[in-house]
Amino acid sequence: MDSSSSQEFDYLFKLLMIGDSGVGKSSLLLCFTSDTFDDLAPTIGVDFKVKYVMMDGKKLKLAIWDTAGQERFRTLTSSYYRGAQGIIMVYDVTRRETFTNLSEVWAKEIELYSTNQDCIKMLVGNKVDKESDRVVTKKEGIDFAREYGCLFIECSAKTRVNVQQCFEELVLKILDTPSLLAEGSKGIKKNIFKDKPPQSDAATSGCC
Amino acid sequence: MESSSSPKVEPDADDDVSEEVFEHFDDFTIASSWERFISKIEAICRLWMADGPNNLLEKGAIPLENSKNSYKIKSELQYDVKSYWMEYYFETKTGKSFDWNSTFHDLQLCFGVKEFLLIAPQSASGVVLDAPEASKLLSAVAIALSNSSSLWPAFVPVHDPSRKAYIGIQNTGTAFTRRFEADRIGSQVPPSLMHLEGLYQLFVSKFAYCTDDLDKHLIKVQFAMKLTYRTLPYDDDNIKDIDVQNTKSGKNLAGESSNERLWDDDCSWSEWYSSEDPVKGFELIAIWSEKTIESSMEMEEVENASPHEAEKWFISPSFSPYLLEYSNGNQFGFASALHLLVDAFEMSFEAQFLEDFVSAESPGPDNLKSSMVIPPPTVRDRVLKELFDEGVQLIDSAYDEHKTPQAIKGAPLETLFAQFCLHSLWVGNCHIRAIAALWIEFVQEVRWCWEESQLLPRMPVNGSIDLSTCLINQKLHMLAVCIKKKREWNEDHRECMGSEDQIDYMTEEESAVGDDTSSMQAQNEDFSGKFTGEPRSFPTSRDLHYSDTAFTVSQDPVKDDLLNGEKSSDQTRRGSAGVIDSMMLLKSYQRMHAPYTQEAPLMTEDMYEERLQALEASNGSFNYFAQLERDILTSDMAAFKAANPDAIFEDFIRWHSPADWLEDPEVEKSKDNWPPRGHLSKRMSESDNLWRELWDRAHALAASEQKPLFDPNREGEKVIHYLETLRPHQLLAQMVCTAFLAAADTVNKTSYGELKQMETKMQQLYLTMAPALKPLEANRLSADSETIEDLKRQCVVFGHVENLLTVAASLHRKLVQAPRLAVEIFIDFYNFYIPRMGTGLEEDYSNKKEFDTKQIVWNNEREVVSSMFVPPTANQSWRKVFSMGNLLNGHEPMVREIIFSLHDGVSNNHYAAPNASVSEQEIDTYRMYICGTSNDLRVSLSVVSCD
Repeated sequence: MDSSSSQEFDYLFKLLMIGDSGVGKSSLLLCFTSDTFDDLAPTIGVDFKVKYVMMDGKKLKLAIWDTAGQERFRTLTSSYYRGAQGIIMVYDVTRRETFTNLSEVWAKEIELYSTNQDCIKMLVGNKVDKESDRVVTKKEGIDFAREYGCLFIECSAKTRVNVQQCFEELVLKILDTPSLLAEGSKGIKKNIFKDKPPQSDAATSGCC
Repeated sequence: MESSSSPKVEPDADDDVSEEVFEHFDDFTIASSWERFISKIEAICRLWMADGPNNLLEKGAIPLENSKNSYKIKSELQYDVKSYWMEYYFETKTGKSFDWNSTFHDLQLCFGVKEFLLIAPQSASGVVLDAPEASKLLSAVAIALSNSSSLWPAFVPVHDPSRKAYIGIQNTGTAFTRRFEADRIGSQVPPSLMHLEGLYQLFVSKFAYCTDDLDKHLIKVQFAMKLTYRTLPYDDDNIKDIDVQNTKSGKNLAGESSNERLWDDDCSWSEWYSSEDPVKGFELIAIWSEKTIESSMEMEEVENASPHEAEKWFISPSFSPYLLEYSNGNQFGFASALHLLVDAFEMSFEAQFLEDFVSAESPGPDNLKSSMVIPPPTVRDRVLKELFDEGVQLIDSAYDEHKTPQAIKGAPLETLFAQFCLHSLWVGNCHIRAIAALWIEFVQEVRWCWEESQLLPRMPVNGSIDLSTCLINQKLHMLAVCIKKKREWNEDHRECMGSEDQIDYMTEEESAVGDDTSSMQAQNEDFSGKFTGEPRSFPTSRDLHYSDTAFTVSQDPVKDDLLNGEKSSDQTRRGSAGVIDSMMLLKSYQRMHAPYTQEAPLMTEDMYEERLQALEASNGSFNYFAQLERDILTSDMAAFKAANPDAIFEDFIRWHSPADWLEDPEVEKSKDNWPPRGHLSKRMSESDNLWRELWDRAHALAASEQKPLFDPNREGEKVIHYLETLRPHQLLAQMVCTAFLAAADTVNKTSYGELKQMETKMQQLYLTMAPALKPLEANRLSADSETIEDLKRQCVVFGHVENLLTVAASLHRKLVQAPRLAVEIFIDFYNFYIPRMGTGLEEDYSNKKEFDTKQIVWNNEREVVSSMFVPPTANQSWRKVFSMGNLLNGHEPMVREIIFSLHDGVSNNHYAAPNASVSEQEIDTYRMYICGTSNDLRVSLSVVSCD
């Protein structure tokens, strides 16, 4: 059903959201794709949303993969790193362990599983609406981003502060990176093993 | 005054009209052809002098091959019916004074000059055969140069070309003229001239004015000598000879007793092929400079001196010509084999099935009889035996180390498929038919392993499947895991071997096991150990390190429970991996047990892609794609329920998703921490929460009782099916990628010391390989010419890197005691070779310049270098009659070059012109250059005289 619409965009980018359970990945995604906020049920395994955007005069299809934070699902989600042009690392500014786990767990996962060396990483501190509960300062976020070479933004899915900017900034950065752009322009990847052999129509000799 | 005037500068115009005309016009009508010839030479010389080196460059001077900054410019001359070339050799940078190594033309060394003119007839021989003609020519040049007040020396080749004879003349700017003469004896050198003493006498005999009182006067002759030694070539015969000798004499330094030892035996590629040694040998140049000799006795001493006494040593390797001969790089290395593999890949599109390439009935498009290229069964057997050697098991850590970030989808070097690819390169000329035959038998062998539950060799049996490797490797990994699981199952239930249905059997068995606590406990641990590969509880021990809310699992659950005195729930508890410290259930006074959980199923890349596609096709609708994840969650819940019969949903969440359990902070903790106070997060506590739904539906079942998430029988069969139905081009595409990567990994293992350039080159190789191999991963795989061209170019690049690496490895092995020299020589070769690294196309560097860079040998390296001159065997030394001195470990020099010179203070000389500035300096009044051996002698003499 998708094939007819597959040419209605110039680039297809795959983005991935990772981070501890309960930091608000799904909420951020929902806020970005449908501009609403909801206290969503925890993701089981992986969720997936598509959003079409216009940027720099180009029509973009964003396939955003939202992964579950629970460690039980981690071995499964590792496969979703492959081919991602952008990876969004989310933490909760009111829970320090979600921040420390980024360096101790998630950054290592990226190193292990990401197949794309140029892939853009973005650090997102969520839930800034709860300013009074904040335990991770903005400076700590900036320092982390500098160390790991990421983009950095703080936002709130609840108040929608900075959510659009967060995704836009990431996509602009991808558009600025030629190797990622080249990947994105290839369109949807087809599975090699579902391909028919190129000479299937002509081949009759193989029958015995 | 008038009487003293010479006719040419006659100032009296009135007397002679014709003289007047001569002053103002170049009237050649009365000049002889010889005069015209002179004036033409003069004109050219004046032009060249006026231009200077830099302008001459712009006017098309040709760079000389052997040296930077040196050039020659040519002009044609006519005299009578003959035409000549006049060439001017010059440098743009005027270097230091004389240096053995800085000459760009042998005339410079012969006569001790820098820039010079060379005039030669345009004939086949290029020499002036006629003596009068030669002197006439030289006179003409001398007059022309004198007229243009040029100080350039000029030379004319004479006699036979093989004699390399020259005569020459130079105006020194004073009253003196320097004359040059060179000649050569090609054979039968008189014995007296073989020795330094005799050569000294020869030089001294040239001082015509003082030969008589030679004994009375102490003549201080300056002497310099350059000796060139050459090691025995590193070819097999010599090495064998040396080995034999060493073994016999009992001083076998290398500790090697085999005569068949090849130079690259310890190089990583030697498993696959043996390379010709790129370093054929070394030349050692020993230089004595500026020694003052006062008698022929001293010459004798010099001749007996060891080369170790020389002031300077230089070393220069001689490289095998093959390095530059083949435009496709290394002739017998991986590069050529990879080239054949690419050809095979191109052909792989011509048939539907691999069997088509093997069957005798279909001769195939290349009209080659299959028997011609398919290796005989013995060869195939040998290869398969080697591949499936049971002794070879992969160490998991080694497997992980090979994870390369190079984005090339191959397989780690030691794995089964990588080894298959490397073997294929050397079987049946790597023809597609040979590959097909080998593959079919390979798959049969794999199937046998599967049917017979024999572990696959060279494959890891656990760990997750590395999706960055090629699909065949992933599939083989999957199969290895499946075989292992099957074996465990077989071993565990040997009495029930007949039963095909593993699942049913397990359920029955497990549920049949009674209520006996201890046996149940043991059974569970035992079983889980076998079922999941390791007694793994979720969360795993690895995960415990980072989580604040981590669990620790007590080692002795039974004892703990006994202490707590809760036998009731123990009787129904199943599948516990142990209690979790500090965690109590909410609704009953019991410790929380972590259950054994099922491992997440293994998946290969194509399975993931299938899932992703299904997911994308469903456009995010939640129903289909998360089924697997939901199964896993349900399985975890069931296991948790089984391990904690009295647990409620909240307990599960506290264990499984701790972030969704919010502890009430204000409540002071009771002594036992029970009951825990807190509540579920908002998102977990909503009424339509899927987690709770699943929880309510889940039945308590220990992991061992559940339907397995991963069915090894089914997955194994799928792998076999994949391997058996693989299309030829799919196989070959993966083979090309894997072979490139494995070949690069193989050569990269060779030790070559610390060579930054080589390391960089290796890295570059990986970097350029990745994009060239990328199209092979593409989904619409086709043999478009561009891809094939890219691959073939990559083979050429590979060959060059291979060449460089053999040179690096060879130098490293030969100069392991003098690493600095190895590095310097390699850098020289690298700089020499890199511009020639074409892409296989003909390029400008077709001019075959020899590698001739020399490296100075430091004093502390002399021993090492000298030890390379292995004393020749009796067998080798009888061939030669030693006639020269200065032996180095029994080797006499290949070439001996000597310069004698006699300095004279010209100012003290009665010939000196009173006011000439040059007269203050000492000049070489006599200089003789002698180059040769005992049967080839070349002598060049320059003499200053005042005529």
